[in-house]
Parts: sequence; C-alpha cells; structure tokens
Amino acid sequence: MKKSSIFGLVVIAVAIAVIISTYASSSTYSSFNEAKETNSELHIIGHLDKKKELYYDATKDANYFSFFMTDNKGQECKVVFSGTKPEDFERSQQIVLTGRMQNNEFHASKILMKCPSKYTQDKLETTEVSAKKADL
Amino acid sequence: MMTTEFKGEHLLPGQIGQFFVVLAFGSALLSFLSYYYATTAKDGKNDSWQFLGRIGFFLNSVSVLGIGTCLFYVLYQHYFEYHYAWAYTQRSLPVYYLVSGFWNGQEGGFLLWTFWQAVLGNILIWKARSWERPVMSVIALSQVVLATMVLGIDVFGVRLGSSPFLLLREAMDLRDSAPIFRTNPEMYHNYLSYITDGQGMNPSLQNYWMVIHPPTLFLGLAAVVVPFAYAIAGLWQKKYVEWIKPAIPYTLFAAMVLGTGIIMGSFWAYESLNFGGFWAWDPIENASVFPWLTLVAALHVMIVFKNTGHSYIIAAVLTLVSFVLVWYSSFLARSGVLGDTSVHAFTDLGMFWQLVIGILVFLALSVYLLVSRWKALPRSQKDEDTYSREFWMFVGSVFLALSCLQLIVVTSIPVWNATFGTKVAPPNNEVALYNVFQAAFAILVTLLAGFTQFLKYKKTDPAKFLPKVIAYLVLAALVAALIVYVTGLYHLKAVFTILMIGSVYSVLANGKIMVDAFKGKFKLAGSAIAHIGFGLLLIGALISAGTSKVVSENNSGQQFTTEVTKETNPRENILVYRNEPVKMGNYIVNYIGDSVSAPNHFYKVLYQEVDSSGKVKNQFLLEPKVQVNKGSGGFTASPDTRHYLFHDLYTHITMTNSLSVNENQQGSEAHGQEDDDKNYDPPVPHQIGVGDTIQVREGYIVFKGLSNETNVSNLQLSKNDAAIGAALEVVSHGKNYQIKPLYIIKNNSVFGIAKKVDDAGLKITLTRIIPSTRKAEITVYQQPVGKKKFIVMRAIDFPYINFFWAGTVIMVIGFLLSIFRRNKELKAS
Repeated sequence: MKKSSIFGLVVIAVAIAVIISTYASSSTYSSFNEAKETNSELHIIGHLDKKKELYYDATKDANYFSFFMTDNKGQECKVVFSGTKPEDFERSQQIVLTGRMQNNEFHASKILMKCPSKYTQDKLETTEVSAKKADL
Repeated sequence: MMTTEFKGEHLLPGQIGQFFVVLAFGSALLSFLSYYYATTAKDGKNDSWQFLGRIGFFLNSVSVLGIGTCLFYVLYQHYFEYHYAWAYTQRSLPVYYLVSGFWNGQEGGFLLWTFWQAVLGNILIWKARSWERPVMSVIALSQVVLATMVLGIDVFGVRLGSSPFLLLREAMDLRDSAPIFRTNPEMYHNYLSYITDGQGMNPSLQNYWMVIHPPTLFLGLAAVVVPFAYAIAGLWQKKYVEWIKPAIPYTLFAAMVLGTGIIMGSFWAYESLNFGGFWAWDPIENASVFPWLTLVAALHVMIVFKNTGHSYIIAAVLTLVSFVLVWYSSFLARSGVLGDTSVHAFTDLGMFWQLVIGILVFLALSVYLLVSRWKALPRSQKDEDTYSREFWMFVGSVFLALSCLQLIVVTSIPVWNATFGTKVAPPNNEVALYNVFQAAFAILVTLLAGFTQFLKYKKTDPAKFLPKVIAYLVLAALVAALIVYVTGLYHLKAVFTILMIGSVYSVLANGKIMVDAFKGKFKLAGSAIAHIGFGLLLIGALISAGTSKVVSENNSGQQFTTEVTKETNPRENILVYRNEPVKMGNYIVNYIGDSVSAPNHFYKVLYQEVDSSGKVKNQFLLEPKVQVNKGSGGFTASPDTRHYLFHDLYTHITMTNSLSVNENQQGSEAHGQEDDDKNYDPPVPHQIGVGDTIQVREGYIVFKGLSNETNVSNLQLSKNDAAIGAALEVVSHGKNYQIKPLYIIKNNSVFGIAKKVDDAGLKITLTRIIPSTRKAEITVYQQPVGKKKFIVMRAIDFPYINFFWAGTVIMVIGFLLSIFRRNKELKAS
C-alpha cells in the first residue's frame, strides 16, 4: 500500500470523527417540560414574561437574577441565572437559554437574547417623534 | 409617479454617489469582458482588448473612490436624510469615529473590500506582465460580483444589492413610525426638521481599534483573490506549473495581513468588549479564520510543489478553496443565518440569495476548471520519501485543512439546519469542543513545524537529523513541564499540556534554525521567525486562556441555597459601594468616584495591593466605562485593563445604580423638586447655631455661618428681595466639601436653592432663619442605603497574555522576511 493511501485513510478517518463528534455533542432545542425529564443541559427558546417580576438586587446578591420565561410550547417556568441582569434584558424579544432544570427552576448557564437592535433599527422610535409632536 | 419635494434634503451627493455605484458596476463588467476577450480572442486583437480592460479597471477604481468620497461627505455633513448616516452616526461623533462609521454597515464593508481589490488589481496591472490578462479577468469578475452587492437597484422586481446612498424615507416608511405624517402632508414634507440627530454608533465600536481593524481584515480578505486568480488563470490557460511561483508572495501577503486583521479583532474584543477574553469561538470569529487556515496550508504545499514537484493538486485545491471560504464567511456574517448563535452577525439585508450566488460563482468556476483539467494536472509518479521535508509539510498542511474542517462543520450548524430542515442546537459546551479539537490539531501542526525544519527536501539521512529531533523534543518537554508546573496548566485536560510541549518545541527548533540563519543560511530566517511567532502565540493563548482567574470571586449572597452556590461556585461579580473598600483576592478595591464626559461615564476603581503587614505596596486606578444607550435606557459597558509585562488585570462593570437615563442628553436638570426628593429618605430639619455639627450616615456637616448674597446666578434681585446663604462644610470619607444652600425672598415669596454632595448622598437646603435665637434650620435629605451608589464588577487576571500579542508581531515579521525572500527568487528567475 502506498504511503499516500494510508495517509488518505487517516484523513478520512479524522474527517468522519469530526462529523460524528459534532453530531454527538450537538444539543437539541427543547422545552421546559422535556427539561424536567432529563438531567442533561438543553437549549430552550422562548420569550420573557414581562408581566412577572424580574428579580435582581445587587445589594442582596450581586450574582442572582431570576425571571419567568415562556417557552415556544407556551409553558412558563422560573429561570435562575447566577450573574448580573444582562443589559437591556427587558427589551428582549426572544431568549435562548442553555441550562438544566433543578427543583422546578431552570438554571441557565447562558442567556442569548435578541433585542430590537439599538443602532440599526429599521423603525424610527415612535417615542422620539411623538415627543416632538407636543411642541407644535 | 408623482415625486414629492421634501424640504431640506441634500440629494446631490447621493445622486453622484449612486452614479459612481452604477459606473463601478458597469466599468467592472467592461473590464471583465475585455480581459476575457484579451485572454481568449484568436483574431489578434488581444492587445486592444487588454487596453480596454485596463481602461475599464481604472474607471472602476475611480468610481470606487468616488463612492467612498460621496459617502464620507454624507457622513461628515451629518446628512441624516441618508439612511446610512442616520443609522450609524450622530453629531457628537469625532471625525475619526466617522471614519469607522463608514464601515459600520454591511455596505461599507463591501466598499472596503472592493476598494482593496481595486488597489490590488492596479498593482497586478503594473506587475503581472504575461499573467495580466487571465489574472485580471478573475479580479475584474470579482469586482463585478462585489459591485452588485452595493447596487441597490431593482432588476425585474428583485432588489439587487443594498446601496449606501439609500434615503432614510426610502429605507422605511416614516409614516408608519409617525402616523401624524400620514394625516399631515405638510409635516411629512418637512420631515427632516424632526430628525435632528442620527441613531449613533454602538459604544463598543467607538474604539480606535475599530478604526484600523476592519481595513486590515478586509485587505487580508481581499488579498486572497490574488492567489485564487493565479490558480484559475493557471488552470484556464493550462500553465499548470507556472502560476505557483508568482502566486507565493501574494499568498504570504494575504496570510500575513489576514492573520494580523484577525488578531487585531481579538485585541479589540479583549480591550473593549465585556465577555472577558480575547477569543470566544463566536461563529463570526471562526468564519474569519477559515480562509486563513486553508491559505496557510495552501502556502506550504505551494512551496512543496515549487521545490519538489509533489502535492500539486492539493496546492491548487486549497488555494481555490481559500477564496470560496472568504465568500462563505462573508455569507455567514451577512446573511442573518447565524441569528440564533452569534452575537456579532449582521441581520439579513434581503441579500441572502445574492450572497449564496456569490459563493456559487467562484465555487462553480473552481470546480469546473478542476474537473475539466483533471487528467492534465501534474502528478508525481512516486511517493514522497518518508524522511523528506515535503512529505511532512504536506501532512502538516492537511491537518491545518482538517482543523478548518472541524471549525466549519460546527460553526455551520445553523446552515445545516437551514439546508436540511433540521433543528439541531449547537453543542452545549461548544467552547470546550472547539478547544479540545483545535488543540489536538495544533499539537500535530506545531510538532511538524518544528520537526520538519530539520529535514531536507527529497531525502534526509535519518542518522543526521534524528538525534537533533530527539534532543530538541526532550528539551521542549522539560521546558514545557516547567511552564505547565509554574502556571498550573496541568489542572486542565492533558491535551493542553501536550500542546504546550508542541508549541515550545516549535519555538526551540525554529530558534535553532534562526540562529543558523543568522550565521549565514539567511534564506530560512523568515519561516523560522514566523514559526517561532506562531509557537509563542499558542503558548500565550494557552496560558492566559487556560489559567486566567476571576479575581472578583464572590461567595456571599443571601438568595442562593447551598446547592446552587455549589453549582456555580465561585460566582464572578462583586458589589462595591462607593467609598467602601472591599477585599478582593490580593487586592483591596474601592469605588472612589465617577467622571462623566458624555456619552461616557467612567468609574474610578482604586486597586491597592496590600502585603501581610497591611502596607500598601502597589496601587493603581482603573476606569472602566459605561455608556447609556440613547432611547432604550440600557447601558453598554467597556472594560479597563491594567497591563503588566507578565499579566493583565481586567475589570468591567456589570451593573450599577449610579447612572441616570438622561445622562446621555447633556445638561439634564432634575425633573423637578418633588421627583428628585423621591430619591431621598424623608427630610430631617435641624435647628442649629454657627459652629454646630449635624451627624449624617456618611460623615458630618459643620455650620460655618450665614451671609448675605447679592449675586445669585439666573436671578434678578431687586431692592426688596434678599438672598441668604448658609456656609456649610461637609466632611465625608476624609474629604471636605464646601457648599452654600440659599434662602431667597423674592417678590414676596420665599424659596430655597438646595445644594447636593453626591459623594456623600446628601441634599441640603436652608429652610428657615430664626433671628431670635440666631439659629438656622438646615434640612438634610439623605439617600437611603438602597440608593447608595454602587457598582457590580467583574475582574479577571490574564497571565502571560503578552506572549499572545508578541507572538503575533513576531509571526508578522517572519511573514515579511519570507515575502522579501520569495520576491527576490521571483526576480532572479
């Protein structure tokens, strides 16, 4: 067997390993109900329940932030994050959590939120224009 | 169609700019077709076609400059009737940030790319000689594709590209945002008078690195087209062998500049973003590395082919792939496909399919030429010798390409989802996955980068090189063991320790080559230095990322159950009240003040290092900043870092209560007395005489005396009016403040002017004067404890991060030396 053929096989083996490892380590987007069934880390997409309390009080604990999120199946759950409240959290339209369920609280290790972009929004902020309206 | 005149718009610069946009497209197309015919025509008119191709390309270059000038003029004049100016800049932006506003949007990025490509094209017209026609055909084609990205013209109902000269009222219907415009045409006609300022630039982009990082990165990305063009030209013109030699210096240049651009981006992230680190494996970061990895791999096999005639096909494939990956990474960044996984990606400008076509054009061209010429491609008849430099350079290149493959496969998960309709989420611990895989590939690459330098092309006598290889490997293992022990890297996975051995080996082995080079074999100096730089870069990255330590550990807090505390122990944010020093690791930190220069709010954080006897042996001030976002009221924090030779201390604010939403708008006055009073505890009146003191929570107040004031700012006092001031001295945390609240009688009404000492959380008014007892009533408002100013901060120590930056600089020097060497070889032949 030629050396280059052996090396070719090694390369193919590594490439397959890369693909399998990616597939094996990849996660799934799931829901709070599914998170209760398992102990592994999951991704959950949903949105902030703005009617319920966002709790963050740095003077009591600078690393405790909790809020309520409704997942895409409509299930609501309390979420706990050990860190500060992310900037502009209230304005988020969509949240992607990574974490696991513990005692009916979802403990997020990562929060990715989508806000209407502050700097490239494609809508004028109505408030700015209507504020001027009063002057006229 | 009826056109409406709008008051106050400056349409001329946009019309000129748009004219240049169209001209850039037309002239690029002319240049491409002319160069194509110059290459292929069989009627002997090739020279005239080439002349026309040059004219077209020059015209394209001028147009690109014209677009840039018009766009900058629009930004500089703050013509907010243009969407680009409105969306990315504001009046208060200094000129050098207006420059970075230029490439803030996607259109600006394309402009930068097409600009650099025009520059490179002109250099090639000047230098490429016999290669000019086919090579410039490819460059001009690339200019055509880029020009379509900024056209902004409707073709058969499809919007082609996005023009930077789009007007605000064309980009969005203002009447949707402000319905009054619909009912009142007169106001709509005058809409511009309501738009007094732009949206402004994201604070994290207001950094000097953002002025130079994007141009460097785009020069690197644009330069990848040159080796690509040579490869296409070589296959197309069946000059299979000849293209490699002239392409090598350009490949070196592209790899050098692209690498520099990527690391500059990482330095910017480290200096001004708050994720705490220089690399986060964000999809956008990864995407910029794809073409670099394949290009460096291509470079090595190109050199192999030039010297031995081996590895032709892989050299050609990797060169072609690199440029296709430039387009693919551009697609990832701009198409919106990464929306759920990246915090940096742009949103879709409606160009998803146009970007896909961009990739496909160059992919199809590459595949077509490779397939149609497959049988004729040079192949070596026999295998490389096992003890030859070319064999191991080839192996190293393949592993570089495989590491790129791993990055692509994982980063592209959203693309696979979009393609196959699946819903796979990225790995939970994505960073660990990347780290382990990339470290494993890097082990092989660094070992080979050292080992291969001891080999010769063709065949080496094992007896000659094996002792050297082994001696250096043992030495590297010893040095690495020492480093791993001292830095504590052994706490991490073993793969990182092995990578340390590989990196040290690369540095030592190439160090030996460098010493030899300076003794006479100067040819190898460039590659030796570049490999030393690469090794140092990895050593720095390994130590600083692997052993960086959160200094602001915090185990206090009432909310957590012990179980939770255990889970995320230790937690990373600490609370620091104003003027209340806190112990943090080896430091005592204190938040000692603020300085506001709109739109930045700097927090003065004093660090003191205390030895065992309690003496301060070292102290310094860090000023992390926060910017209040206009409109939303949220804030954006940027860290500040204390740099030492062997470690950095990084600090940033994650939360604070000492910002007000109005801070951004200058000259904000309190909304009114009552509103302001709500910020304080109920007022407490004190009737005191001269010399008496009042105790307050943060210190005390001394009453010095009363005085008649004749000059009161903003007030016209007549003969019957009076103003009396109470001179007070406030002492708080070792500082003295002199204030004078006023008691004013004017037009038979009485009112007071309060004075504040924000540092002490006090507001003080003079509420009564009691002549009979020679006393005055001083009313003190104290801020409640909860309103006491504080910051929540996170501090991280990065050891030996300077190796990372220094390694980069050394690598660039190595690249430069190699470019000189290869250029000299080219001239000699």
